[in-house]
Amino acid sequence: MTHMFRGWVARGAGIALAALLASGAAAQDAMIYGKSDPAAKSGGRLTVGSLTEPPALDPYHQAADARIRVTVLAYQGLFFEDASGQAVPLLAESYTMSADGLSYTFKLRRGVKFHTGQTMTSADVKYSYDYLRDSKNGSPGAGDLSTVDSIEAPDDSTVVFKLSRRNGLLPITLTHRYGGVIPKDYFATPDARTKLNEVSVGTGPFKLKQFRQNSVLVFEKFKDYWQAGLPHVDEVTFAFMPNSAAMVVAAQNRRIDLGIFTRPQDAEQLTRVPGVRLVRTPSMNQRSIDLGSEHPLLKDARVRQAIALGIDKDAVMKASIAGYGQVIGTMVAGMQERWGLPIAEAPNQKVDLDRARRLLAEAGHPNGFEIELTTIIGYDWMDAAAVTIADQLQRIGIKVNIRKIELGVWVRNFQNRQMGFTFNDWPSSPDPSLLYYRHFRAQPLGADFRNWNNTKASELLDRGREESDYGVRRGIYNEFQKILADDVPTIMMFSADLLTVERDRVRNHQQHPTGWYFSLIKTWLAD
Amino acid sequence: MLRFLVARLTSALLAAALSSLVVFVLMRTVPGDIVAQMLGQAGDASAAAALRGFFGLDRPIHAQFVDWLAQVLQGDLGRSWYQGKRVSALIWEAFAVTFEVAAVTLVLATLIGVPLGVLAGIVEGTRLDAAIQTFNLVGLSAPVFWVGLMLLVGASAVFGWSPPFAFMPPSVDLADNIAIVILPVLSLAVLQAAAYSHFVRDCMVAELRRDYVRAAIAKGLSPAQIHFKHALRNILIPLVTFMGLILIQILGGTVVIESLFSLPGLGRLILSGIQGRDYPVVQGALLFVVAIAIVVNFVVDLLYGLIDPRLRP
Repeated sequence: MTHMFRGWVARGAGIALAALLASGAAAQDAMIYGKSDPAAKSGGRLTVGSLTEPPALDPYHQAADARIRVTVLAYQGLFFEDASGQAVPLLAESYTMSADGLSYTFKLRRGVKFHTGQTMTSADVKYSYDYLRDSKNGSPGAGDLSTVDSIEAPDDSTVVFKLSRRNGLLPITLTHRYGGVIPKDYFATPDARTKLNEVSVGTGPFKLKQFRQNSVLVFEKFKDYWQAGLPHVDEVTFAFMPNSAAMVVAAQNRRIDLGIFTRPQDAEQLTRVPGVRLVRTPSMNQRSIDLGSEHPLLKDARVRQAIALGIDKDAVMKASIAGYGQVIGTMVAGMQERWGLPIAEAPNQKVDLDRARRLLAEAGHPNGFEIELTTIIGYDWMDAAAVTIADQLQRIGIKVNIRKIELGVWVRNFQNRQMGFTFNDWPSSPDPSLLYYRHFRAQPLGADFRNWNNTKASELLDRGREESDYGVRRGIYNEFQKILADDVPTIMMFSADLLTVERDRVRNHQQHPTGWYFSLIKTWLAD
Repeated sequence: MLRFLVARLTSALLAAALSSLVVFVLMRTVPGDIVAQMLGQAGDASAAAALRGFFGLDRPIHAQFVDWLAQVLQGDLGRSWYQGKRVSALIWEAFAVTFEVAAVTLVLATLIGVPLGVLAGIVEGTRLDAAIQTFNLVGLSAPVFWVGLMLLVGASAVFGWSPPFAFMPPSVDLADNIAIVILPVLSLAVLQAAAYSHFVRDCMVAELRRDYVRAAIAKGLSPAQIHFKHALRNILIPLVTFMGLILIQILGGTVVIESLFSLPGLGRLILSGIQGRDYPVVQGALLFVVAIAIVVNFVVDLLYGLIDPRLRP
């Protein structure tokens, strides 16, 4: 009796636990790509105006943010980076980490189909991530997976990643910036890379229908998509707009349903149009000024600190994006709550001209100096910001000469670690390690573009990467941010809000803070 | 005639070879290459080296040029590094768009500009002449992108209308095609009509002061005969030269106008090629543009002979 009873209890508990887990998993699944709308209707064509155009659609070899924005519709990773920057299982159903943190076992979702019609297995997952992490294949994502030693596929629905060092951010690395799961041996044919502009081979809710350079990109609903009922719309067309005036006119005349604007004045103009609404979303982008230590003046930390103390971030933000953003300290707006050091606790954030002048005098520049500030052609916000900053720094005796250069030249300087004194416009990185590591970790493990070479900061970044406990990681990154704010290799000024203009018929569009179009998967169209 | 053709062809080929060398070298002197564009702020040295090898950028520049030239001589312009499509196919696709805009613009500009110029020349010094000259001045000084922008915004404000964005060839959807090209054509045509009118007026005025015109008047010929049979005929030579120049100018103007109106033409193909450092596309497309300029000039030369027998070789 006792035995039977115990058996019942155990079985009952087991069933209850399974049910709980299942409902938990189902609830979690329901939250992928944002909240579901029970009133959602299927069908219709959605047209999105876009001021940026991807040069190509290859998620493995193209780092451009414009590419990531759209390919997230067609390609999926093992995880989804949700709006708060957490990794939520996507093509992986669940995972476990070994006690020593050196082995991750992923259980894959079953019944997932590729756009090619094949069913996804562990062999495809192993191939995809092996390809991505091999730097000989030339993927920008290879560096993120440098701690992976080997990938095994013990059975059809299990994949095991073995690591050489602990890496707490492995799940968030297996999301959408680079790569995505594709059929095994896909890249074996010579023209495979460029073929991706004609046919998509991922598992995402939309598949590629047509890509005409300088014109349109069309995705259609993938009928065999694994999430029942998604996506809601039959077709998404991205219309590439050569300038914001054309996009404003297109929005006024209902040629587009939706569009992300970069200049606040354009978006504001549209708020007066009936049937159109403007939605502001805090973003994960970052507008900053970098101070490379290879520069003869900027190698002195006191000079860098003086510059930081001379800059009024709020005034710069108002001048360059009309206040449509959030002033930041050492963390992008979209992740401030989860990872950011409270701005009040960060040094060198408030304007203090007296201290700035003292620091300059100590550094041997009692009468200030002249310095060149670089802006990039095509980045409108930098022009207004540069003029404002030149005005502000004049107050502490620094004469700023503004130099405008082309993006290609700027990227070359950046990669050669000859940044000097320059503006920077960072795209999204949904995790503090992805955000900081390559930029600020001393060489050779990091790229250290600003020649900062800070041992303490590097040590913290290493620890932050290995740790998987959120609380401990947060502590580590807060400590890192204090050093960052104190020693000023960069001045993070503000995150510009994503300004989305939507027509009334667009429903349940939840802009992701990265600006990547995950939001279109659960969007639906009212008649 | 044959000697003339051979000489013309030789100099044309030389010009093409020289300009492709310049383009080839220039493209590679511009800092940053496709690898930098692809990796952006991400990627490391080994990934960059792998990609450079993939695109053959790790080889010496002269070797790259020789390979490319050999390929071109076999009639193959290569493939776009981003798109993977044949450069020749991309050029044809884009040129069809540019050609349509340019041809319609040329016809429209000629139909407006030449009669205006002739009229102004005939009525020299009158108020009508002043009005036409004012139009010329405004048309010549208004930048084409400004005119385009005003038309775009104006059409939206007045008619609540804006062009569709996905280009449709006339063979697929004529109505959509017209809706797409009408504003770009108008913005280019205003400028070129003004240029025409200005030029034709000056020629007409100069021609009407010549001795033979005075003789014709003395002989009692009607004004119509003097203006159209004699004066107009005599300005045809400079007019044809000018038309060639205008056509080349229109082709240049489309670069700006295509960017403004989102037309997937040759100008945008070249521009996005340069921005992305897609060398095969830029090299191929610019070679094509040079070839067009040569052909236009050649046709203009041939037309001279047709119009004026004295110039026949």
